[in-house]
Amino acid sequence: MKKLFGRIIPVISVIAVCAVVITIIAAYFNFISQRIYEDSTSHLYEIYAQVNRSFGSFVERNWGLLRGWGRYFSAVDDDEAVAEFVTRERDYWGFTELYFISADGGFITADGRKSSEPDGEGFSAFIESGEPTMSGQTLPNGKGVTVFAMPTERSEFRGVEYEAVAISYTNDDLASSLNVDAFSGKAKCFVVDSDGSVLLSTRTGGSVYKNYIQYLGAASDIGEEGLESLTKDWENGLSGLVQCKIGGEDQCILYQPVGYQDFVLLSAVPESSVSAGFLSVQKITANVLLAIFLIIGVTAAVFLIMRYSSEKKSSSIELQYRELMFSVLSNSVDDIFIMLDSENQNVDYISPNVERLLGIPADEARKNIRALEKCAVNYNVVIPKSEIEKIPLNGSICRECEYMHQSTGERRWYRMTVYHSSIQNVEKYIAVMSDRTGEQQMNLQLREALDAARSANEAKSNFLANMSHDIRTPMNAIVGFSVLLEKDADRPDKVKEYTRKITASSHHLLSLINDVLDMSKIESGKTSLSSAVFSLPELLEELGIIILPQTKAKDQDFMIHVVGAPPEKIVGDRLRLNQILLNLLSNAVKYTQVGGKIEFSVSEIKQDAPQFVKLRFAVKDNGIGMSEEFVKKVFAPFSREINSVTNTVQGTGLGMAITKNLVDLMGGIILVESEPDKGSTFTVELTFALPEQGVEESRVESRIRRMLVCDDDEDICLGISEMMKDTEIDVSCVTSGSAAVGAAVSAHERNEDFDIILLDWKMPEMDGVETARKIRGEIGHDVPILVLTSYDWSDIEEEARAAGINAFMPKPFFVSTFRQTVEPLFTAPEAPSEPSEEESKKIMNGLMFLVAEDNSLNAEILTEMLKMEGADCELAHNGLEAAEMFEQSPKGHYDMVLMDVQMPIMNGYDATRRIRASVHPEAKTIPIVAMTANTFAEDVRNSIEAGMNAHLAKPIDMAKVCETVGRLMEKKRPQKGESEE
Amino acid sequence: MKIKIIALAAVFAAAMMTSACADKNDGGVLTVMGKESDLNKSYMTEIFERYQQQTGNKLKIISCKDSDFEAAAVEKFNSDSAPDILMHFHNADLNRFDVENDFYFLNGEDWVDDLTDSARNYCQDKSGNLLGLPYWENSVSGCYYNKTILDSLGLRPATNQAEFDVLCQALADTGYTPICWPADGCAWMVQFALDPIFADDPSMLEKINSGEITFSDIPEVENMVSWIAQAADKGWFGDSFLDCGWNGISRSMASGDAVMTFIWDTWFYTDLEEGGKYGVNDFALMPVFLNTVDGGTFEGGNLNMMMVNKNSERLEEALDFLDFCATPENYNAAFEGISTVSCFKGQTTNIQSKMVVDAGELIAEKERVSTAASRIVGYSADDMVNALNELFRKKVDVKGCIELMDKNLKAEAGNQAADAF
Repeated sequence: MKKLFGRIIPVISVIAVCAVVITIIAAYFNFISQRIYEDSTSHLYEIYAQVNRSFGSFVERNWGLLRGWGRYFSAVDDDEAVAEFVTRERDYWGFTELYFISADGGFITADGRKSSEPDGEGFSAFIESGEPTMSGQTLPNGKGVTVFAMPTERSEFRGVEYEAVAISYTNDDLASSLNVDAFSGKAKCFVVDSDGSVLLSTRTGGSVYKNYIQYLGAASDIGEEGLESLTKDWENGLSGLVQCKIGGEDQCILYQPVGYQDFVLLSAVPESSVSAGFLSVQKITANVLLAIFLIIGVTAAVFLIMRYSSEKKSSSIELQYRELMFSVLSNSVDDIFIMLDSENQNVDYISPNVERLLGIPADEARKNIRALEKCAVNYNVVIPKSEIEKIPLNGSICRECEYMHQSTGERRWYRMTVYHSSIQNVEKYIAVMSDRTGEQQMNLQLREALDAARSANEAKSNFLANMSHDIRTPMNAIVGFSVLLEKDADRPDKVKEYTRKITASSHHLLSLINDVLDMSKIESGKTSLSSAVFSLPELLEELGIIILPQTKAKDQDFMIHVVGAPPEKIVGDRLRLNQILLNLLSNAVKYTQVGGKIEFSVSEIKQDAPQFVKLRFAVKDNGIGMSEEFVKKVFAPFSREINSVTNTVQGTGLGMAITKNLVDLMGGIILVESEPDKGSTFTVELTFALPEQGVEESRVESRIRRMLVCDDDEDICLGISEMMKDTEIDVSCVTSGSAAVGAAVSAHERNEDFDIILLDWKMPEMDGVETARKIRGEIGHDVPILVLTSYDWSDIEEEARAAGINAFMPKPFFVSTFRQTVEPLFTAPEAPSEPSEEESKKIMNGLMFLVAEDNSLNAEILTEMLKMEGADCELAHNGLEAAEMFEQSPKGHYDMVLMDVQMPIMNGYDATRRIRASVHPEAKTIPIVAMTANTFAEDVRNSIEAGMNAHLAKPIDMAKVCETVGRLMEKKRPQKGESEE
Repeated sequence: MKIKIIALAAVFAAAMMTSACADKNDGGVLTVMGKESDLNKSYMTEIFERYQQQTGNKLKIISCKDSDFEAAAVEKFNSDSAPDILMHFHNADLNRFDVENDFYFLNGEDWVDDLTDSARNYCQDKSGNLLGLPYWENSVSGCYYNKTILDSLGLRPATNQAEFDVLCQALADTGYTPICWPADGCAWMVQFALDPIFADDPSMLEKINSGEITFSDIPEVENMVSWIAQAADKGWFGDSFLDCGWNGISRSMASGDAVMTFIWDTWFYTDLEEGGKYGVNDFALMPVFLNTVDGGTFEGGNLNMMMVNKNSERLEEALDFLDFCATPENYNAAFEGISTVSCFKGQTTNIQSKMVVDAGELIAEKERVSTAASRIVGYSADDMVNALNELFRKKVDVKGCIELMDKNLKAEAGNQAADAF
C-alpha cells in the first residue's frame, strides 16, 4: 500500500502542475486574444476607412471631371473635337464609355451611338433628381458597370440635346482599384445602397452578388431583426460592425457610409482573418512557449530516454550476451530449454539445439510447442497443457519421456521439468528437457547386466544342478556297478552285464563332458572355423551312415532328400557342419517316437554371388514337438523341456545351444518350427564358398549315353534328371517297377538298350530287387543295374546281387557318387575290401610304442589295452622323458609314439618338436600320435603343426587307435628304408 | 414489266435481308437511306410525303435498324448500291466514309445563307465545306439555373469561371446544392467542357484521334478534372450525388434542392418533373463553367444532316430535293409545333424555349459545335463518368483519373476500329 501510494503521489503532482500551467496559459491567451480582437477590429475599421476615402476620392474625381467636361462640351461646338477629346480622356482615365444624356433618359455616346433607352435603368431617375449620381447597370452580356452622371447646362451633341453627361466603368476595373489585399485576400468588399443592392464588388467573381442584404438573409444567422437594424444604419449613414456566421464560418460585417447618396462601403471578412496578423503573433508566442515547453520536455524526455536507453542497452547487451551464451551453451549440451507464455503457452524461447536433438526446426517448435509431442515415443507420458496450467507459482512438475529424432530416428531420453515462475508479475513456464539418454542407457545396460548376471547365475545354478544330476547319474551307475562287479566278479554273466552298463554310463559321461567343453570353448570365443574343400555327398553319406542305425533301432523312417542340384564340392568347415547336422538329426531321432518319420533335406537357395552357394538343411520329424514357450529358449544352454517323454531321454541340454552358436559362427541362421505332438522342423541356412571349377572328366560319361531311372518319388526322378544335365547322359524316368521293366524291354527290342538302369529299392507294387530280377529275365545281364536306397542294404545285398543288381548307391543321388559307383562296373575289378578286425589286430601285433603319459591310471589303461591288441610299450612320465627315451633308443626300437599333450616338465607339442629336431635316424619318420583330452579342432591343428601325424581323443577308443595305427603303419611300411620326411 | 418490277422488288427484299435495312418505298427513283428511328421522325415523314405529293417524284426510303446502319451504309458506299441521299450525324462514324469522294459539298446551294450559324458550323468540315443539310431537332446545352432562387438569394448568374466559383460557394453558404451532378446520370456533362478544347482548335482533335496526344497531355483537361474534384470536395454537388442517377436531376431541379445543372433546353419540356416547386419558367441559361474556358461554353445540338451522294446518277434530283426541304414554306410545315432551336433563320413554326431565346446573344457568342462526344474517336461518355466516379470514390487522384480516361478512350477506339473492320 505504501509502495502504491509512493508511486501515485509523484504522478498526481505532475498532473496538478501541468493543469495549473495550462490554465494560466489559457487565461493568458484568452486575454491576449481579446485584446488582439479589439485591436484587429480597430485595424479593420482603419483599413476600410482608408478604402472608403480612396473610393470617395475616386467618386469626387469623377464628379470633378464630369463637371469640367460638361462645361467644356457646352463651350465647344465642334462635335468631332468633342469626340476626339472624349477618346483621349477615356484612354487616360480608363472609363469605358461617355454618355450625353437627354432629358428623356436617352443618350448618345461620343462615337455617335444613340439609344432611346440607356444601357440600364436609372438615367431617367437621375435626370429627374438633377443631382450627381452614381448607379450600377448590367450590360446585355451580363457584365456589370458603374455609371457616374453629372447634370450640365443644356447643350447639344451631334444634334442630340442633352442635360447631363455620364461615364461608366466596368465593375471589374473598379474592383481592381478598390481591392483590399489585406486579410489574406479573403475579405469581400462591396459598395451597396441602403437596400443592399450591390453597386460593385471589389473581389474577383463578386459580381454574382446582386443584393447583399438578401444574401445575408439567406446565408447568415443574422436574422430579420439584424437585417433591419443593418439597413436602418445604412439609411442613417451610420458605421458599424456585425458578427455573424455565413456558411458555417464566423464573419465580421463592417459597414461605413460612402458619403454619396446612401451608398455604403461594406466589407465581409472572416473572423479568423481579421486578427490573423495578431493571431499569428499570438500563435508565434504560443508556439515559442510551446517550443520552450517542448524543448524542456524533449530534453527531459531525451535525458530520460538516453538514461533508459543506456540502461536498456546495457541490459540489452547483457541480455544478448546471455542469449548468445545460452545459445552456445545449448548447442554444446544435449539439454533443451523452453520458455512459455503463461497465458496461452506460446513459446517465448526455445533453444536452437532442438533441431539437432529432436529433428524439429526451432521455428516450427516456436510456432507450436506441441510439435515436440510428435517426437515422443509414448505420447501418454508427455505433460499435457492442462497439467502445466495446474502448476502452482514457483512449483514444478517433472516427467521422463523417450523422444525420437524425426530425421534420424535416434532415440533419446529426456527428463522434462516445467517450472512456473514469475518475474515482476510476468508469469512464465520454463521447461528444461534434460538429456538422460546416457543415464538411461547405463541403467538399461546395468539392468541387462543384472539380468544377464541373474541369468548367468541361474544358468550356473541350473548348470551345477544339471551337471550334478547328469554327472552323478552315470557316475553313480559306474560306481555302483563297479561295486557290484567286484562283488559278483565270479559270476561271468553278471560281470558282462555290469561291464556293459558301466561302459554305457561312461560313454554318456564322456559325451556330457565333450558337450560342456565344446560349449565352453564356443562361448569363450576360442572356436575358429577351418576352410577346406569337401564333398557334400560324402558328408551326407556319412551322416546317413551315422543316423541310419539309430533310426533303424527305433524303427523310424529316415529319408534324405536333395532338392535340385546343389554343388557337390563346397568350401567350409566340414567338421562343424557335420556337428551341426548331426546334432539336429540326433535330436530328431531322440525326440521322435518309435516308428516315427524323419526327413532330412538339402536344397540350394538362390542368391546373386556366383562364387558362393547358399544351402538350406532342414530336419523335419513328426516327434513330440515343443511347446511355444520352449521354442523360444530351445537354443539356450541346458534347456530341456520337461515332460514325460523328455525325462526318459538322455541329454545335456547343450546340443542345440552348441548348434546355434556354431551356425552363428558360420554366419548362418537357424530356425525352428514346432508344435507339441506334431513334430519339429529345424532349418539351417549356411553360405559356402565354391571351389574353382575344374573340368571333371569321367570315363563313365564316355560309356554311358542313355540311362533309365525308376523311383516312385517323381521329385527324385526330376532331381536326378536335373543333376545329370551337365553330363551328356540322356536320362529317362519312370515311377514304377513295371514301367521300368517295360522301358527296358522296349529299348532292348529296339536294340537300343539303356547303358545303365538305376532302380529305387523300396517302391510300392514292385520293389527294386524284383524289378531288377524281371529286367534281367527279359533283357539278360548286359546292362548294369544299380539300386538307389537310403536304407542299409547289407541285409538284402546277397539277394539283390542274385537278382542281377550290380551295385548299390546311397540316397541322395549325387553325380559324383554315381560316377564312383558306376566306374568300377565299366573299368576295373572291385577294390580290395577294408581290413577286417582280425587284420587290424595283426597290424598292432608286435609293435613297440613309446607312450608319454603323466597320468599313471591312464598309462596303465593304455598299456593294458595295447597289450590286449598284441602290442607292447614303454612309458615316459613327461615330454622330456619321452624325447630322451626316443633319442636314446636305437633305430627301429619304437614303431610309434603315443604322446599325451598336457604333461609336466615338457608338454607333448614341445616333446614332439624335440623328437623331430633330434638326430635320431627316425626323428622325421617315426609316427607320433597325439592322445589327449584336448579334442577341439584347434588342438588337432596344433598337434599337426607340432609335427605329429595324427590326433586321438581321450578317453581311448581302441578301435580308433587300431584304425589310426594301421593307417600310419601302412604309410610307413613302403617308406621304410627311404629318406625320412 | 410487272414481272420485272416484282423481280426487282425481290432483289431489294433480298438486299434488305442481307443488309438488315428495309426499303420503305419501292416505287421512287431517289433513294434516301437512314436509321429507322431517324426516318420515322414526324418532320421527316412529313417532308418526304410533302415532296412526293408536291413534285410527283418518288422517294425510295432505305430504312436500317439503328444497330446495323453504319455498317450497311459503309457497305453500300463501297459498292455500286450507294443511296442518293444519306442521313448521318456529323460524328466520328463519318470517318468511315471517304467523305471527300463520296459526298457532294453544298457550299454553293441557295439555302446556305438561311442556316443559323450554329447549324452551319455543325454541318461543315474543318475546311469549311458544308457536308449536308441539317434537318433535325436542335437544342442548346448549357448551365441551366433556377433564376427564381438566385433572385431570392440576391445573386446573379456568373459570367466567368471566377464568378461561377463564387456563385457556387454563395449558394452552398445558403444551404442549396449549387450543381446537380448525378454521378451515374451525368454522362454528357463533361463533353460540354471539352468542346472548347477541340472545337476552338481543330488540330487538337486530329492529334487526339491520331494518338499523338492523350487527355493527359491537355492542361485544360487537368483543369477540368481538378475543378470537378474540388467541387465535389466542397460539397457543390451535394452530399448524395454519388447515389444520384438520371431521375435525380428532375427531382432536384423541380424541388429546388439544386439550383444549377448542365443540360439542354428540351429536357425541361420532356423530363422536368411536373408539379414540382419549380417549373420551366423558373429557369434560365448561362454558360457551362468547368474550368476549361474562362468565359464558359454552350454546346450546340447534334444534328442529322441529309448528305448527297457525289457519284449519284441522280445528283441533280438529289440537290433539288434538298432545295425543296430547305424552302421556308416546307421546313416550317415540317417542323410546325416541334420544340427545337431553329436551324434555319426563317424557321418560325417551331417552338423555342424562352431560356434559349433570352440567352440568345450569349449563346451566339459562346456556343460550340458538339465536338468531343461526336468527333473524338472512341469517346464514351460513360467511360468518362466511370473515371470520374473512381476519382470521387478516392480510388484514383486527378492524374489517375485522366489516365483512366485515356485508357478507356484507347480501348474504346480499338473496339470501334475492330467494329469498323
